[in-house]
Amino acid sequence: MSLRLLTWFKSPEGRQYFFSTHFWGPMANWGLPIAALGDIIGKDEETISGVMSPTLAGYSMIFMRFAWRVQPRNYLLFACHATNATAQLVQEARFLNYWYGGGREKKHPIESGVDSVKGKVQEEVDKVKNAVKA
Amino acid sequence: MSAQASSAAAAHTTSKLQAFLNHPAGPKTIFFWAPMAKWALVAAGIKDLSRPAEKLSLNQNLALAATGFIWVRYSFVITPVNYSLAAVNLFVGGTGIAQLYRIWDYKKNGAGLPKLASA
Repeated sequence: MSLRLLTWFKSPEGRQYFFSTHFWGPMANWGLPIAALGDIIGKDEETISGVMSPTLAGYSMIFMRFAWRVQPRNYLLFACHATNATAQLVQEARFLNYWYGGGREKKHPIESGVDSVKGKVQEEVDKVKNAVKA
Repeated sequence: MSAQASSAAAAHTTSKLQAFLNHPAGPKTIFFWAPMAKWALVAAGIKDLSRPAEKLSLNQNLALAATGFIWVRYSFVITPVNYSLAAVNLFVGGTGIAQLYRIWDYKKNGAGLPKLASA
């Protein structure tokens, strides 16, 4: 398998592919899933955009179909967008768990505690304000 | 006579519309909708053009400019040839270049000078 791949790399057709836009187009696109994977591994949930992640997931699913239907079929582009769609969905799951699944309370108990106290104080202030108005 | 002419005109417009609808890269195919999705993404990012130059990412804009122009070429070597995809990527490449110019200009003229407001 790897030997066949190596001989193909060295063949004129192989070299032609590596110097073509059919290779460099999807290659340039790999920045997208690489950045997303880096965010999954290294970045806090605070940095996730709850709107941008599902938007990019949908975008990548559209381009998966494009990569499959275009002539010549672009497997490298398909893999790139499949990886990105998965990574963005993982990011969205992290976002939802963090804000709505109790993830934030577990990870930052003090901050989330302070926020909930702030919210309660604000409620009371609003009540007093309304009472004064009335 | 006139009815005949109008029906002929109608047939002509129908066939034009049908030609568009049934085009190999028309709206019934993914080749129409993939560039549309990219346009939507570009529109979402257009507000970055008014972002202060010191907050722009050099790497990001280098990458956008490069992918933009590589993809313009790619749009012409695939079947069906995709002019819409070429147009959106020309735009991506162009905005990338514009942002790179803004970064370069900021580094040359903007940085190190006292802020106008404090003068």
